[in-house]
Amino acid sequence: MNQRSRHEWRSLAIVIGLLAVLPLLTKNVNVHHVIVMFFIYASLGEAWNMITGLAGQTSFGHASFFGIGAYAAAVAFYRFGASPWIGMVIGALAAAAVGAIVSYPMFRLRGHYFAVATLAVSEIVFQLFVSWRWVEGATGISVPVAREGLWTLQFHSSKLPYCYLALAGFVAAAAAFHWLANSRIGFYLRAIKDSEEAAMAIGINPAKYKLLAMVSSASLTAIFGSIYTQYILYIDPFMVFSMHVSIKIVLLTVLGGLGSVWGPVFGAAVLIPLSEYTRVLFGGTGRGIDLILFGVLIVMVACFQPQGIVGILRSRGRSGKGGQTRDAKAAA
Amino acid sequence: MLPQLLASGVIMGTVYGLVAVGLGLIWGVMDVINFAHGDFLMISMYSSFWVYTLFRVDPILSWPIETALIFALGYLTYKVIIKRVVDAPGLSALLATFGLSLILRNAAQFLWSADYRYLPDTVVADRRLLLGPVMIGLPQLVAAFGSILMTFAVFYFVRRTRMGRAIQATSMDKDAARLMGVDTERVYAFTFGLGGACVGFAGALLSTFFPVYPESGALYSTLAFVIVALGGFGNVKGALQAGIIIGLAEALGGFYLGTQFKYTVVFLIYLLVMQVRPKGLFGW
Amino acid sequence: MRRSVLALVVSFTLVGLMFIGNVALAQPVVKIGAIFPLTGASAATGVKLKYAVEVAEEIINGLHPDIDVPLARTSGLPKLSGARVQFVFADHQGNPEIAKSEAERLIQNEKVVALIGCYQSSATKPASAVAERYGVPFIAGSSSSAALTERGLKWFMRIAPNDDMETKFFFDYLKFLNQNYNAGIKRVGVVFIDNEYGVHAAEMVDKWIETYKKDGFELAARIKYPTTVSNVDTEVQRVKAARLDAIFHASYIADITQFVKGYRAYDVTPKAVLNYCGGFQDPKFLENLGRDANYFSGSNAIASSLFAKMEVAKRINDLYKPKAGVDIDGPTIEDFSSALVMADAINEAGSTDPARVLEVLKTKTFYAPYFVSGKVKFDDKGQNEYSASVMVQVLNGVYEAVWPVEFKTAEPVPAFPPWRSR
Repeated sequence: MNQRSRHEWRSLAIVIGLLAVLPLLTKNVNVHHVIVMFFIYASLGEAWNMITGLAGQTSFGHASFFGIGAYAAAVAFYRFGASPWIGMVIGALAAAAVGAIVSYPMFRLRGHYFAVATLAVSEIVFQLFVSWRWVEGATGISVPVAREGLWTLQFHSSKLPYCYLALAGFVAAAAAFHWLANSRIGFYLRAIKDSEEAAMAIGINPAKYKLLAMVSSASLTAIFGSIYTQYILYIDPFMVFSMHVSIKIVLLTVLGGLGSVWGPVFGAAVLIPLSEYTRVLFGGTGRGIDLILFGVLIVMVACFQPQGIVGILRSRGRSGKGGQTRDAKAAA
Repeated sequence: MLPQLLASGVIMGTVYGLVAVGLGLIWGVMDVINFAHGDFLMISMYSSFWVYTLFRVDPILSWPIETALIFALGYLTYKVIIKRVVDAPGLSALLATFGLSLILRNAAQFLWSADYRYLPDTVVADRRLLLGPVMIGLPQLVAAFGSILMTFAVFYFVRRTRMGRAIQATSMDKDAARLMGVDTERVYAFTFGLGGACVGFAGALLSTFFPVYPESGALYSTLAFVIVALGGFGNVKGALQAGIIIGLAEALGGFYLGTQFKYTVVFLIYLLVMQVRPKGLFGW
Repeated sequence: MRRSVLALVVSFTLVGLMFIGNVALAQPVVKIGAIFPLTGASAATGVKLKYAVEVAEEIINGLHPDIDVPLARTSGLPKLSGARVQFVFADHQGNPEIAKSEAERLIQNEKVVALIGCYQSSATKPASAVAERYGVPFIAGSSSSAALTERGLKWFMRIAPNDDMETKFFFDYLKFLNQNYNAGIKRVGVVFIDNEYGVHAAEMVDKWIETYKKDGFELAARIKYPTTVSNVDTEVQRVKAARLDAIFHASYIADITQFVKGYRAYDVTPKAVLNYCGGFQDPKFLENLGRDANYFSGSNAIASSLFAKMEVAKRINDLYKPKAGVDIDGPTIEDFSSALVMADAINEAGSTDPARVLEVLKTKTFYAPYFVSGKVKFDDKGQNEYSASVMVQVLNGVYEAVWPVEFKTAEPVPAFPPWRSR
């Protein structure tokens, strides 16, 4: 296992190296936009993977943590002129607190009952933000434009800094997930996922470790909410607390492969460009063709590759005879 | 004012309940969350609309068509898509039904445009009953009675018929059921169809007083998630009762706390109830 | 099978990337970006706006000597040696994030020289911020939030009257009803959807009620309802309990229709219901509600009853109606106007140089005979000074202009008759 972990670290490093070159290959801002969104969503997938992929607690409510992070950065700057870095830290802490306060009592719920509870929490948080005058409610916050720089986390002349900011975030998220998955806690979480009773029998306290996973997942999610705010420079509750955000995170991770550090990477790599370019190509027709195509592709992947994209690569790697193994490596 | 609110709440609640029964059956029996459930409802409303517009058959009479149609849609969905994902680990079924939902919703826009449509001048349209201070629209009343009848029909179907017992057996333990000679494959397909039939029926009734448009099913599916879990998975009567609770919460909470909070109240009730009954109000 | 699915997905993505890469073909075409909600909850309206912009494109590029608007008599833009105008449509799905990225894509990849859109104020906000950053003129046709023109943007302009102006217009109309028809309207309420559009309109009511208190008006209810509303029974109960004389509605087409049905079902009879620019103006309102639509009022930039007085509006509608299946309405003609004004300004500037186009936009008074005010002129904040609206009321299934008096096509009915006696 240890060796596999080291092997995985190495492939991660290679992939990240390749990703770092990617934005330099083009000057096209739209491609840069897709790259930024790819990093952000891949990272959100890693965060979600902690609580769902490892601990087996399906969350349909991660938009609430994402939104809290997004609002923290926006409010810090808009109300107090504070750096979004400060907002980011506050957002991560707030999301962790909300995650802990809300989930702890909910951990008694099993399976879908828990999943629906996360959905309910997220809808309530959404509603609170819509009605909260101090954060401008439904009107949303336009982040005041400031001088470019790392302190303000605003870059206007080029999207490259955002690409690398998001990449750095992604590296941190992937490393965090990888570390957690391969640590002792990771093993405990997987044991809890398989059977809580069995885990308890061998002396693991499920509530404690589930809480830990939820808190890390929530705060990591919030950090990317803050990055998102600084990137878009406008947020309202409908964008960041929308169920669509939660579902998108779920979809791309499941599409890529649940519980693996690679899952969100592959999932986001397929899903984000696909939704962007189907819309660019067919969205202007106004007849929903882009979303029909998008839907068909999702259904096809789900039907023919229920293990996710990671599953394709794994199954080929394992049955690996010569050419196939090489393929898998090349694809990775 | 209170009797009026109670009446409106109960009436909407029964319809919510029926929509949730369909979702809950599928969820309870094969552990698949059908994200396209609301879109089945929408397709049913459209078919009711077209049957009325083209052939002048009132939804009050045409409901068997919609029910059968959505039954077939559900059955087909199982055979074509769900069959391949039902035993796959890790939420793949959710992915597939989400994709299906996108397809249905946008196909509706592609074929019939995004316009909001109403069925004018149906038999029940714009009539109402006055019971003292309480006013009840006839379309709503018919929908409520229809929903209750349909829910009980499904309940007795599951309890009393051979297929119903097979559904119960499969939901408890698929492998054991198969060993006992139950054709679980057929049971699954039938259950998906039955879940569809519930929204097919609900869609026909709703089309008499709700707008028909590509997104018209969206909210129902979110509420249905909560109702199913509140009632307890696989519990048909529980879904109806939970539906009524949610309908009342929406009406009373909205009136007394401010209408912008009406769904907040709904979700809050779910969270609170779950603290006391972690397997739903009527689950075990 | 598995491999082919993967291959399909990957190749799809690559093809998409390539498509995006190859642009900027040298053609004598002036491209203008148009961003609307073409899918999602507001698609019904978004698609109509697209049709209206297509009509504008047709008028600009084709020969239409019978239509008395700028650029109709010539083919293309005469001062740019007949260059054709092409509107590049993009779908923002009602999501501000997509509106922003589409604005960037249109400017950078499609090389559009100007932008119009985005219907929802929340989408217009970030999209116009992008235009500001790139120095590209942006005209919003129908986004009504007053906040848009309060941001100090240099490159942003708006045709529609904002909700600030509309609210004052509403109070003035109520005053007119009270004075001339003895309507006796006192208790005013605002019913609004819980998003930027509704909340901002309600804030304007809060603001203007202070001024109009001396005229005997009081704000008796503020009823906010969620965006994902399925049935409005509870909201209608609240309206009923508040015993309002006049209701200001900030609602979209789906919800306003539900409300009217609710008012009927529960016998709610205020004296007047005035609608902000939104769902009420969509002719589907008449189609879906039939008789029940009667006596509802609202501000509107155009009304089919005005076609008899305004030849040009009728001719535009003749081109629009076959596409959309309904008569042209307020928001639609405002976005039509944004397209035409933008093309007119580019033509007038004689070049696509953004600074010169902006100069024209800021200084010229545009000829716009399809509005009752007949012209469009942007003030230094970018707001159209000439309010394009009249008060319309549905009478016998037709939007009749009832106020200001000089545009009147019918007498207003100052108080709702009881539902029962209709």
